[in-house]
Amino acid sequence: MNPRDEIVFVVDDDARVREALGELLESLGWRTETFAAATDYVACRKPDLPACLILDVELPDVNGLEFQKQLSSDAHPPIVFITGHGDIPSSVRAIQGGAVDFLAKPVGEVDLIAAVRAAIRRDREQRTTRAELAELMRRLSQLTPREREVLPLVVSGLLNKQAAAELGISEITLEIHRSKIMHKMEAASLADLVRIAEKLRIPVTHSRRSGSSRECTTRSL
Amino acid sequence: MVFFVGEEQPIMQMEIANQMQAEEALRDRERELSLLVDMVPSHLWRLTPEGEPTFFNRRMTDFLGLDVPDTDKPGMSRLDVLISTVLHPQDAVEFGETLRNSLATGVPFSLKYRLRRTDGLYRWMSSRAEPLRDHTGRIVQWYGLCHDIDDLVTAQEALHDRERELSLLVDMVPSNLWRLTPQGETTLVNKRMADFLGMDLDDTQQLAVVFDTIFHPDDAGEVEAVLGSCLRTGERFSMKYRLRRSDGVYRWMSGRAEPLRDEDGNIVQWFGLCHDIDDQMHAEDALRRAYDKLAQATQAASLAELSASIAHEVNQPLAAIVANSHACYRWLSATPPNVERAKITAERITRDANSAADVVSRVRALFRRTPHARSPEDVNRLTSEVCQLMVDEAAAKNVRIRTELAPDLPSVALDRVQIQQVLVNLIRNGVEAIEAADDSQHVLQILSCFDGPDAVRIEVRDDGTGFKDAERVFEPFFTTKPHGMGMGLAICRSIIESHGGRLWMANNEMRGATVAFKLPLAASETP
Repeated sequence: MNPRDEIVFVVDDDARVREALGELLESLGWRTETFAAATDYVACRKPDLPACLILDVELPDVNGLEFQKQLSSDAHPPIVFITGHGDIPSSVRAIQGGAVDFLAKPVGEVDLIAAVRAAIRRDREQRTTRAELAELMRRLSQLTPREREVLPLVVSGLLNKQAAAELGISEITLEIHRSKIMHKMEAASLADLVRIAEKLRIPVTHSRRSGSSRECTTRSL
Repeated sequence: MVFFVGEEQPIMQMEIANQMQAEEALRDRERELSLLVDMVPSHLWRLTPEGEPTFFNRRMTDFLGLDVPDTDKPGMSRLDVLISTVLHPQDAVEFGETLRNSLATGVPFSLKYRLRRTDGLYRWMSSRAEPLRDHTGRIVQWYGLCHDIDDLVTAQEALHDRERELSLLVDMVPSNLWRLTPQGETTLVNKRMADFLGMDLDDTQQLAVVFDTIFHPDDAGEVEAVLGSCLRTGERFSMKYRLRRSDGVYRWMSGRAEPLRDEDGNIVQWFGLCHDIDDQMHAEDALRRAYDKLAQATQAASLAELSASIAHEVNQPLAAIVANSHACYRWLSATPPNVERAKITAERITRDANSAADVVSRVRALFRRTPHARSPEDVNRLTSEVCQLMVDEAAAKNVRIRTELAPDLPSVALDRVQIQQVLVNLIRNGVEAIEAADDSQHVLQILSCFDGPDAVRIEVRDDGTGFKDAERVFEPFFTTKPHGMGMGLAICRSIIESHGGRLWMANNEMRGATVAFKLPLAASETP
């Protein structure tokens, strides 16, 4: 893993701290980009690399914790907070908001390296997950409207006969749809297709088991 | 003209000539007199002994628009006609009576009355008349003179009105006015002031001694001294004092007086005024008290804020220094070593360390105030005030503040705000030390006393846990408290030392610790 393929963003309003952290990260081999304000960071075009965001809690334009909240709706690099006077409630809030670490200034080298590495590792995982999901979405987009109707029924575990009855089509037709779905979604088996559907959060609309259990419950009442 | 008709002829002729000459001269004189009578700028008139007008001069007939014959009316005397037509109705009776009295007794007549001019306007006249008697003493004629004094009377009346108006003004102006002789004797107070003091305006004796009794006993001496000095030097008087109102209540007044001088610069009178500022004074008092409270509260808060801000200011360059030194080490340890970048980072380390040092010297400068901020203060009063401020905070933590202040301590020149900060901080430290000890009732003792002949000492004695390392507590950022920034005692010590004093602490023999500071009586300035 070559650190030159990883990038660390630093947002701190104090030029000396910004510069020094940048220098240290560079000396450790990382690509770095530094910003004086959160808005500058947002405005900048970021290279498509595994990344980490080192964020000062006390920023002039917006509080670091607030900024974390604003970022949370989009995909963003994992955050390592740094602060001049950290208090426990702030650090708890930061970690609950998904921050990797919450470091007090002056930041020791060992802590910094550990935090940045952890953040970048997490970003790699997130990026992989995002890429996988994008691929699955691409496959899903190839399905015809009818096939999209068939998919939830199949992954719900309905028998071909039941699914065909649900849609009012013949069992043969349903089997053709199902094999096309398997092919387009590149699923090796039904179990594989179920896992893919789960990742795509396709709702399980008809559960044979839950349907029967509901009946059981009704009867037992 | 000479005729030769004998010796007598020329003589006769001469006599005739002389007589004609004399007659001529007489006519001239008569003309002259008549002209004089008409031209004199007054009214001249003549009456019979019975009072009937027989002559008015030209001026008079011009003024009245009528002559003696015009007063002839059947069934009425000329005088009555005259009175009823030209005298002002309000003056007619008096005129008639006075004149008739003079006619009857021969006493000269003298009266002022209004006379109607030909245009119908009445004008004030001053009139006199005296009788002419023959050798037997019988009155033959009355001669009168009357001149127009209307302009004078009008001017006098205007003057009178003005005077009345001024006196009304003096009484009505919403201020107390007074007047003194150059020797300081009261010669006048206006009605408002007399009402305020409950004195009788007409009682001149009371007026003369009024200033001896109306001042508040605490102010009387000073007023007397200041006013006395003003009377001697002629400087204007201005001061605030309390005056006793008629109901016995003293009220604050703002008094001023200035001298009136004659052309030679000698003081003729002193005019003064004073107005009631009692409500204003009370409002100011309340405002000052509120302001003091606020200032104290702000100071108490600002010490904590100041500490936090200083810590932040120092921490930023420190953070940069730490990161740069790691980077420098990394550049040098690389293969091959990157000396250029190591140099850059080393330079930055120097720069940031200096910037941290700057912060420290700025903090020092902050507590090196200009000497004029120092004023003589009663240390005991200052201490009591701070204790009062802190009593609630201490009580909330089950700590009672007890003071033992030595009486008769001299005032010390100090910066009130800073010493208050020190006391607030020491008391707060003490309370927190006790709080950390255990939960039962505790006492924080505050003492003041002489420290040698030329210094005073204040001690704050707690019965808490005491200090483990007595000298380290003064290091900035040293703290034994979980939430403290550790700047408090260091700042307190800088403040006391900037006053030329000393701050120290020691653990007590039994339990707890004492923090004490002393301040020199003679304020010495240390840079």
